[in-house]
Amino acid sequence: MERFNLLKKDHLIGFLRKLAKEYRIIAPVKNRHGDTLFTPVTDLDNDEIDLTNQPQNSIKSFLFPQTEVIATYQSSTPDDYTFTEPEPSFPPTIFFGVRPCDLSAILYMDVIFLKGKKDPFFLDKRRNSLLIGLNCTAPFANCFCNATNSGPFLEFGFDLQFTDLGDRFMVETGRSSGERLIEDRPQFFTPSTEKDSQARYQSFLEARGGFHRPVHLDQTLKKLAKGEVDESVWSFLSERCQDCGGCAYVCPTCTCFTISDQPLSPTNGERLRSWDACTFSGFTRMAGGHNPVHRATGAIRQRFLHKLLYDVKQHGRTSCVGCGRCVGICFGGTDIVRFINMSCQGELYGT
Amino acid sequence: MEHNAAGLYLPKTAKVQSVIEENSQIKTFALSLSMGAQPTVFRFQPGQFVMVSMPHCGEAPISIASSNSRTDSFDLSVRLAGRLTSAMHSLQPGDSVGIRGPFGRPFPLDKLVGTDLLFIAGGIGLAPLRSVILSCLADPRFSDNRITLLYGSRSPADIAFCTDLAAWEKSGRVDCHLTVDHGTPDWKGSVGLVTSLLDTVAPNPTRTKALVCGPGLMIRAVLAELTCLGFDPNDIITTLERHMKCGVGVCRHCHLDDKLVCRDGPVFTLAELQGHEVMELAT
Ligand SMILES: Cc1cc2nc3c(=O)[nH]c(=O)nc-3n(C[C@H](O)[C@H](O)[C@H](O)COP(=O)(O)OP(=O)(O)OC[C@H]3O[C@@H](n4cnc5c(N)ncnc54)[C@H](O)[C@@H]3O)c2cc1C
Ligand code: SF4
Repeated sequence: MERFNLLKKDHLIGFLRKLAKEYRIIAPVKNRHGDTLFTPVTDLDNDEIDLTNQPQNSIKSFLFPQTEVIATYQSSTPDDYTFTEPEPSFPPTIFFGVRPCDLSAILYMDVIFLKGKKDPFFLDKRRNSLLIGLNCTAPFANCFCNATNSGPFLEFGFDLQFTDLGDRFMVETGRSSGERLIEDRPQFFTPSTEKDSQARYQSFLEARGGFHRPVHLDQTLKKLAKGEVDESVWSFLSERCQDCGGCAYVCPTCTCFTISDQPLSPTNGERLRSWDACTFSGFTRMAGGHNPVHRATGAIRQRFLHKLLYDVKQHGRTSCVGCGRCVGICFGGTDIVRFINMSCQGELYGT
Repeated sequence: MEHNAAGLYLPKTAKVQSVIEENSQIKTFALSLSMGAQPTVFRFQPGQFVMVSMPHCGEAPISIASSNSRTDSFDLSVRLAGRLTSAMHSLQPGDSVGIRGPFGRPFPLDKLVGTDLLFIAGGIGLAPLRSVILSCLADPRFSDNRITLLYGSRSPADIAFCTDLAAWEKSGRVDCHLTVDHGTPDWKGSVGLVTSLLDTVAPNPTRTKALVCGPGLMIRAVLAELTCLGFDPNDIITTLERHMKCGVGVCRHCHLDDKLVCRDGPVFTLAELQGHEVMELAT
């Protein structure tokens, strides 16, 4: 049985201050330039925790850093060449204010990094992380998580989940680890009433009706499954894609990476894993310059088919969580919503 | 950290035991994983590959070329292609490399028992097939299989694995047919594409399994020819080369539609590839 608690908004900072004694807190913080970014909170009195705007980044970069050392190596002579795995160094961390799309993206990363051979670096960070979600009561301009089934309210996956009810948060418990956060700090919470549950439901209905973009993902999924998306859609999108990789970097579920050596001296160095993007033309190029993926249409097709067809086949879910970030960042206008809309229309493009 | 988590990306040090110069482009290295003075047991199945590290050069996927009956050391045959492979070509006995693996889905050896085996290779593509041939020769289950090898090279000087070819021919267990793209005055053998040898050996498609590896264009021509000869797509088995970084099905560089070559391959039957956009099948 789910447990519901109330936390007065006036008590939020006090609660976080108590948590901060044991955990590093990462939350959406508005910086002095007016950008809201997930950032480690270092000063609860002065950092402006912003639960109103959509954070520009997701929490991907904390669990799967843009660049990460996966081994160090040393080799002073040709017969000496050894590798060392870095010591885990991720402190116990609470991610606070994670919206359903971004939280759902973490659940996807769990599948990618932990379902088969467990990725030691992701595992270390994930184990030391607690997720406090924040349901979306007012979808942002580019959001379509209603179409991807990852919002505006989330049903599972969080340790705790907050819903804004005006002067108070309703707090749901998703896991025993979340329950302990409350049990150990009972002074901040009061039990919720039937009235609060009604208010939460009302807020859910309003959020569900508050999406600005109609995105008919279900139609696209059907067309993709039947192979009915016209070739001209791919070539149109490929022509306009500028190969910048921006979509992959802002996307909370893009997890392709590359591995490279960074020499630190003639005798030692670091092996790095860094974000990569399947739309880059070098992504599949082999020694000698041969590329098995057709540059004109293959790369962007891989991006969308991976998210909307292959992951559905393999993991039973899309890996687009409808956060809308790529819509905001793509200056070629070849973001995923553009693709979904084009594929639904069934027209021929630019041929 | 969980038992199976640590070390996924951590190479082990392996020592070069010997180096054979196959031709001007290809060298074969015998390696053993070293744990103190004793070599460690290394088990794999033919068709699998390892990720090889060289200092400051990152990693490259290389097929294991030796018999699976040998567990104290294994062979890698490496063609000069770029940075890492050039660094490997200066390795001497006693030198070290980094190794992760073995990775990938191997050739289905159990399904090959009791059939005629037709190996078709071009250039360095003989490396993974050499592993199958040697493993079959060492495995009593295969003592009655008819084994034929068709091997194409660019020129007589480019023919690699000469010691193996001579030994197989001599043992009478492998019927070897060689061809070169460009002959020389003293070359008495056949000249032309490896597909031309198929007419000579006239394989029986109903009781033969074909194992194919080589450059993309060669694979394409051979798969088409075998299909014409009436081979079932399930009986044509090939191994694909793609850009790879992690080797364990996460980084996605080796994507092939919904498959990943490092995890779902590199060995595929033609039947498994049909319906996918594969450059080796394009017409
Ligand atoms: C499953 C598999 C088995 C292979 N087996 C053999 C073998 O037995 N013998 C052999 O000589 N070669 C083999 N190759 C090809 C070999 O991996 C490439 O020739 C090698 O990666 C080239 O590296 P380089 O640094 O010398 O070349 P460069 O051109 O300098 O490479 C540049 C970068 O591109 C990447 N890259 C380029 N081509 C490839 C590629 N084909 N695969 C993966 N990464 C690539 C490398 O990671 C490197 O960082 C195999 C490839 C695969 C996928
Ligand atoms: S594809 Fe675009 S909308 Fe979907 S999760 Fe990634 S960034 Fe968000």
